[in-house]
Formats: sequence, structure tokens, C-alpha cells
Amino acid sequence: MVAVQETIDTVKTLEIDQYKYGFSTDIESDKAPIGLNEDTIRFISAKKDEPQWMLDWRLEAFERWKTMTEPDWARVEYDKIDYQDIYYYAAPKNFAEGPKSLDEVDPELLRTYEKLGIPLREQEVLSGVAATKAALAAEDDREEDLGDNIYKSGRVAVDAVFDSVSVVTTFKAELAKAGVIFCSMSEAIKDHPELVKKYLATVVPVSDNYFATLNCAVFTDGSFVYVPKGVRCPMELSTYFRINEENTGQFERTLIIAEEGSYVSYLEGCTAPQRDENQLHAAVVELIAMDDAEIKYSTVQNWYPGDENGKGGIYNFVTKRADCRGKNSKVSWTQVETGSAVTWKYPSCILRGDGSQGEFYSIAVSNGMQQVDSGTKMLHIGKNTTSRIISKGISAGRSSNTYRGQVNVGRRASDARNFTQCDSLLIGDRCGAHTVPYIETKSASAQLEHEATTSKISDDQLFYCLQRGIPEEEAIALIVNGFVKEVIQELPMEFAVEAQKLIGISLEGSVG
Amino acid sequence: MTAHSPRILTEGETSLIDAVARSTFDGDTSARKAAVDAIEANGLPTRRVEYYHYTDLRALLKGGFEPAAPVSEEVARDAGKPYPRLASDACVLHFRDGYYHDFGEALPAGISVTDGLPEAPSATSNADATSLINAAVAIGGVTVEIADGVEVDRVLGLAHAQTGAANTASGTRFAVNAGAGSKATVIERACGPNGNGYLNSSHVDITVGEGATLTYILSIEEGDAASRMGRLTVDLGKDATINLFVLNAGGKLVRQEIVFDCRGEGGHVEIAGINLVGGEAHIDVTSTINHHVANTTANELFRNVCTGRGRGVFQGQINVAQPAQLTDAKMACNTLLLSDDCDFSAKPELEIFADDVQCGHGATVTDLEPSYLFYLMARGISETRARRLLIKAFVAEAFEPMEDEKLEEALEARMDDWLDANV
Repeated sequence: MVAVQETIDTVKTLEIDQYKYGFSTDIESDKAPIGLNEDTIRFISAKKDEPQWMLDWRLEAFERWKTMTEPDWARVEYDKIDYQDIYYYAAPKNFAEGPKSLDEVDPELLRTYEKLGIPLREQEVLSGVAATKAALAAEDDREEDLGDNIYKSGRVAVDAVFDSVSVVTTFKAELAKAGVIFCSMSEAIKDHPELVKKYLATVVPVSDNYFATLNCAVFTDGSFVYVPKGVRCPMELSTYFRINEENTGQFERTLIIAEEGSYVSYLEGCTAPQRDENQLHAAVVELIAMDDAEIKYSTVQNWYPGDENGKGGIYNFVTKRADCRGKNSKVSWTQVETGSAVTWKYPSCILRGDGSQGEFYSIAVSNGMQQVDSGTKMLHIGKNTTSRIISKGISAGRSSNTYRGQVNVGRRASDARNFTQCDSLLIGDRCGAHTVPYIETKSASAQLEHEATTSKISDDQLFYCLQRGIPEEEAIALIVNGFVKEVIQELPMEFAVEAQKLIGISLEGSVG
Repeated sequence: MTAHSPRILTEGETSLIDAVARSTFDGDTSARKAAVDAIEANGLPTRRVEYYHYTDLRALLKGGFEPAAPVSEEVARDAGKPYPRLASDACVLHFRDGYYHDFGEALPAGISVTDGLPEAPSATSNADATSLINAAVAIGGVTVEIADGVEVDRVLGLAHAQTGAANTASGTRFAVNAGAGSKATVIERACGPNGNGYLNSSHVDITVGEGATLTYILSIEEGDAASRMGRLTVDLGKDATINLFVLNAGGKLVRQEIVFDCRGEGGHVEIAGINLVGGEAHIDVTSTINHHVANTTANELFRNVCTGRGRGVFQGQINVAQPAQLTDAKMACNTLLLSDDCDFSAKPELEIFADDVQCGHGATVTDLEPSYLFYLMARGISETRARRLLIKAFVAEAFEPMEDEKLEEALEARMDDWLDANV
């Protein structure tokens, strides 16, 4: 078929040069000595001014990590990581840890976030960022408009993490009025040690897996959210992760606790400069939902994916897990994965409370030489637990896209329900799409449904559109958007617009 | 898997190695020794070996094996009596405790049989445990040739029965070559008495020549304490069709591997199966369909019924290589869980490297629909009968590809036996 052949040819010549966030900020950095040993951990802990118990916890994790081996079961291939050739801590120089006002922050840093479209000044958020932006643009006409996004729409509190430190957290005061604690992990360790001690590593144990253990030893920053009983968080919370420094790894740690009857929606975004070498990002995210609580966690992952030959890019090895501890609690993971050279990520739900619900909506787009091995785990432990998995994989170029998921129903989990649908779309004949589901049931009253399909855009669909005068590129975009619609619908509205645009960018050349 | 040294062998491993050492098995002794050495060096696979994800052979294969010894013709004939033939006019080749017994049945026209073990499968790693065990313990075997262009009018049976000698370790190895344009039906059947902890290993290599159609029925009716390790490989030529039906209605530990390689355009794989998992059984069917070239199709359907404390496993993989454009492959695995103590694990995998394909799989697990049960019981049908009826209706679709109605009835009778004992 000629039409699709053209598309394939375009994909072949495609360079992933439309990565808009590939600039780096020239800012002097304060780094830990290169390599990983006990001193590195002591250095990080001292920089963060951490209490002794935290340092001891880190050192213990490091001891365990030394006895572990890197997992190799995922369908990804990458050069062996030299853990002694990474900077485990990098922070802008003269950057004091702890709460600070924006006036103390290096203007270069603020400019970076402006460029990324992340407003950090609360009054600007409220009054619109146009004025600052115009001023910045006048100063520097290379300034590129990265478009509007959710962060500019108001009502979003942002925790901005730059390499290893949290630059600023906005709207803290307003959130505090509602009783919500939203701050960086470093602050939480200092200000709310009792909560951190109580919940940290209770969902992802210290020795859960190689990368999670490494994270325990060297994690630098991330967000901490605590929503008290009965509170509906008054605004969307978000964290924006930015890797800037060369040869550094980013190890962030996020902990979200939703007490009885509370609700919180959390967004996560990430970008990195365009570099020739690979950089490691190994995060741990833990969510805890008590009785009747609901957590909605959305990710738009757009780390630098490397160039068309697979040079450079971020290794995204992330452990994300939610514990639905309470009765009728609910956790919903939504992810749009377009970036990273290698992705190894399985956001999971432990459905412990009776009647708890887990949801996983994912769009994973791979192009160029990207490798994605992602999916979810739904562990049904409580009675009447339900889970729903919708995964859409789109592979183009020479990429490999794997869905790997597990649905496990324990003996006690009577009347558990699961519905899984994972569809793959292949664009071009050099890419791969794989589906590896594990379905395990020990309860006779469980009802599980799983379906998976792999196909390309059908000639019929394309013909139908073309016949109605829709140009081919647009037709493909239309069909792809239809393919992922079920997931896009789950995203907060402004995020959905951004995600839709991102999918367009990732497949540029293959879809319009 | 990383080898831990020095490896401590389990009772099952030691017993297996020891039984081969004490045996008087003839045949290719170097292949036998190599296989035993590999088992001794790497051990049997655990869950860490992905191919055995749900069947921890190291823990499940219990010991106490004795090397099988030949029996007299009288004993051999008696051993087959409890298992009436599935096809009345079939020519059956008999195997007892691994040994081949020629009862002088006339072969169907167009089929020739050569006595002797076909070449041992080459295997070294513990992911090939089924092949290694066969190389170690297989005793009897035949090579079946179906002549080019012949439409064979009678069924050929390969029947293995256990005589009841205590806990023997033995096995068979067959090669079946269907010549170009031929059409034939072969039944492989494995039976044994309950309460005997024997080990039966079966390895079958099938090639289906250009334009040939082979119907192969595998009926596993091992005793309730038996271990069975089976592997069946099918190589499909251009425009060749394999029609495979698998019935699992017995055994304590059953591992049946099925591998298809579509190497010629126009090849078609039709595989249907019924796994009846009851009592203390652990039944694992692992199938792999490899599409190497363009324009091949596959249709796979398994219906599983679990009850008692049974553990059922289905691993199905569809691999589509880059040149295999226009592949059309479907796989379905539906399971009924009837008791609170049974469980079922499924891993239906797709691995696709070609873009112009249609591949899909579906898997469901559920209990009998209470409203259906109510409907039948409201009409005066007892609960047991109603349940059996619904189970039979549930698995019925798996019989659909079967053309021979008599054969279907015979297999249904085997299923009824199982239902009587388990539901």
C-alpha cells in the first residue's frame, strides 16, 4: 500500500530533533565527588542537613544494594551502567537548602523554568505570566515559545526539582490553610519526621529491587504530600523534574499519603537537556490511600529520548507503587510516556482494603531507538476489589515497546474483578511491539478479562478518511488519537491537551 | 540463571540421575550421559527460569524413581486393556513403560514405520529441561513416514501405557514426517494406573510437508500420581496445515510444551485443547507459535476447567518475525474456576516485529454463571448434572475444528470420566 509506505519512509529518515526541551542551563553547580561510596551518601545527607536516623537508613540501604544484582529480565538492552561514573548530587551553586523566597533563587534558574513554561511566582500564576515572558523574550530573542500548558492555567501548585534539589514549592501557604502538606522531601524529613518515619518505604520496601534500593541510598529530592482526613485538596499538585547537569543521575523520592475520605490529584512532568551520554533517573514513588481516599496520579514523561541512532537519552528506571490500605480507597495511575531512551516502569496497585479500586491508563509512544518496557501490577488482596487496565502502545522507527503486566487475585480476594485491554499499534516495519501479561487467580469468584491486539492502521480506516478529503498525515493523526482516546480521557483536561500535542511531536514525520 | 555452586541436588534430581545410572537402557548412551550431566550441573528449572515461570520443576518433581525394565508380551497386552481405543479401526503401535511392543497390527496404506529412537533433542540449559529429561530416559521410539500425496484412510495410534511396575522412569520419542500433499490422522495417547508415581517423558518431532494436512490428537490420561514431561514440535512447510487437539485429563504433574514453526508461506496452525485440572494436579501447557515467513495463520483456543486443589497453567506465545508480514494469529484461553482451593495462571504473550499483521489474544477467568445454573435447576435438573452440562457446553468450542465425529465422541467419553470423578 503506497500511502503507508510513504509514512514508513518518513519514519526511517526521522530524526528526533523536535525535542523542544533539549537546551541546558549554564549554571555553576555544586556536586558531590563522582562515584558512589559511603562518603557520597554522607555528603548528600550532610548537604540536606538530615537527622542521623535518615543517614543510618541510607547507609543500611547502601549495604543491601551492594549485595544485589541489576535485573535483566526486561526486554531492554543498554550499555552497562558504571555506577562509579555518575554524580549523585548536583545543585546550583550558592543554593541554600531549605525554604527560601524566590528573590534568593538564581535568576538563571527562574529563566529555565520560564523557558519550560513552569511559572514559579504565585502572583504571576494568578495574573498570567505574559508580562514576565515578554520581558524575558526581549532580553533573549532565542526564547522559544513552548506553548501554553497546564502549569499556566492557574490553580496548580508546583514543586520544581532541578537536578538534586527542590528549587521552590508554590502555594504552600494556601495549601496549609486546607491542612495539606505539600513540600519537598528534604523539608519533610526535617519538618515532619514522624510522618516520614511512619510511611517511608512501607509500600516499596528498601530492598524491593536493585534500582529502588539504590534510590533509598542516594535519593536527593522529590515531593511529599499529606492530605488530612476528609480534605479534598483545593488544587492540583504537581512536580516538575528537570535534569540539567552532565553525568548526573537523578534519584527522586515521592511520598503521597491520603488520609480517610480525602482526595488529591497529582501531576508529574519531566524533561532533560539533549546530551550524547546516557543519564540515569531512578525514582521511587509511594502512594498510600486510607479508607475512602482517592489519589489520582498523572505523569507526562518526556525525558530526552536520545538521537535517531540511540545516542544519549535518559535511562528511566522507576519504581511506582500504590497501597490501597483502606476500605473503598482508589488509586488511578495515568501515564503518557513519550521520552527516555530506555523505560523500565510498572506503576502498581496493592488492593489491600476491601472494595478498593486500582486503575492504570497508559499511552507509551516509542520512536527512533527508544525502548519501553512498562505496564502495571494489580494485586488483589481484599474482597470486592476491582481493577482496570487500559494500555496503548504505539511503536514507530526502530523502537521496541513492551507491555508487561500482572493481575494477581489472592485466595481471600473474593469477587475480585479485573478488566485488561492492551493494544499495540505498529507504524513502520522496523519496530517491535510485545505484550507479556501474567494472569494469576486463586479465587473462584474472581472474574478476569484480558484482551490484547496488535495491528497497524488498517487500510480501511485510512481509506475511509482519505475518501472524505482528509489528508493522509491528518488521517493517521486522527486514527492514532482515536486509538489512545480512552487514556487521554482520564487525564486532567489541560494535561490531556498537552499529552495530545506530545504524541503528535513524538510521532512527527509519521503522524502529523 | 546464575549457577550456585556447589549445587545441592533435590531428591527428584538425584533420583532421576540415579535411575538412569542404574538402568540398562540402550540406544545412544553418549546423548543420555550428556543429558544427565547437564541436569546434574544446572539442576532442574525453578520459577526464575521464565519458560517455567509457573512450574517450579525443581520443587514439583518428586523422587523415588526406578529405571523401567522390559515386560513380557502378556503383561504388555494386559496393561492396555483398561484403556479402550479412541478409534476402533486404528492401527496402534504399543509402548509399555517406554518399551516398544509390536503386536503385529497392519499399518495403514501409505504409512511406514521404522523402529528405533530418533535422534535425541539437543539441549543443555535448564530451560530445556523437558528435552533433557527425554534424552536421559527415553527408551522406545519410532519414526513414522507418511508417503507423499497419500490420503491415509485409517488412524495411526501411538499408545503409551504404564504397566504398573513401581514408580518407573521411562519415556518415548517419536518422529512423524507427513510427506508433501498427504493427509493423515495420528493419535498419541498416554495412560497409566492411578496411585503410581511414575515418570513418563514424551518427545515428538513432526514435520508437515508442502500442502500436507496432519491431524494430531494428544490425549493425556496419565495416572493421578504420575509426572509427565512432554514436548511436541511441529515444523510446517508451504501451505501445510496442522490440526492439533490436546486433551489433558490426568496426571499429578503435567508439563506439555508445544512449539510450532511456520517456515513456508500459507502455513496454518489450528490448535485447540481442553485442560481438566482436578484433585492435586498441576497441569502446565506451554505453547509457542513462531511465524518466520509471510502469510501464515494460527488459531489457538484452550478451555480450562479447574477444581479441587488443582493448579492450571497456560503459557502461550505468538512470535512474529520481521519478514512475517500478513500474519494472522489469534489465541484465546478461557478458564472456569470451580473451587476455592484451585488456581489458574495464564501468560498469553505476543511478540511482534512485523507491522502488517493482525494478532490478538484474549484470556478470561470466571466461575459458572449462577443464572445459567439456576435456569437448569429450575427445570428439575440436579445441580451436579447442571454443572456438568454447563462445563461441557463451555469446553465444546474446543472440539469444533475436529472433523471426525467418532473421535470427538470418544474424547468426550474420556471427559465424562473425568467429570464423574471430579465434579
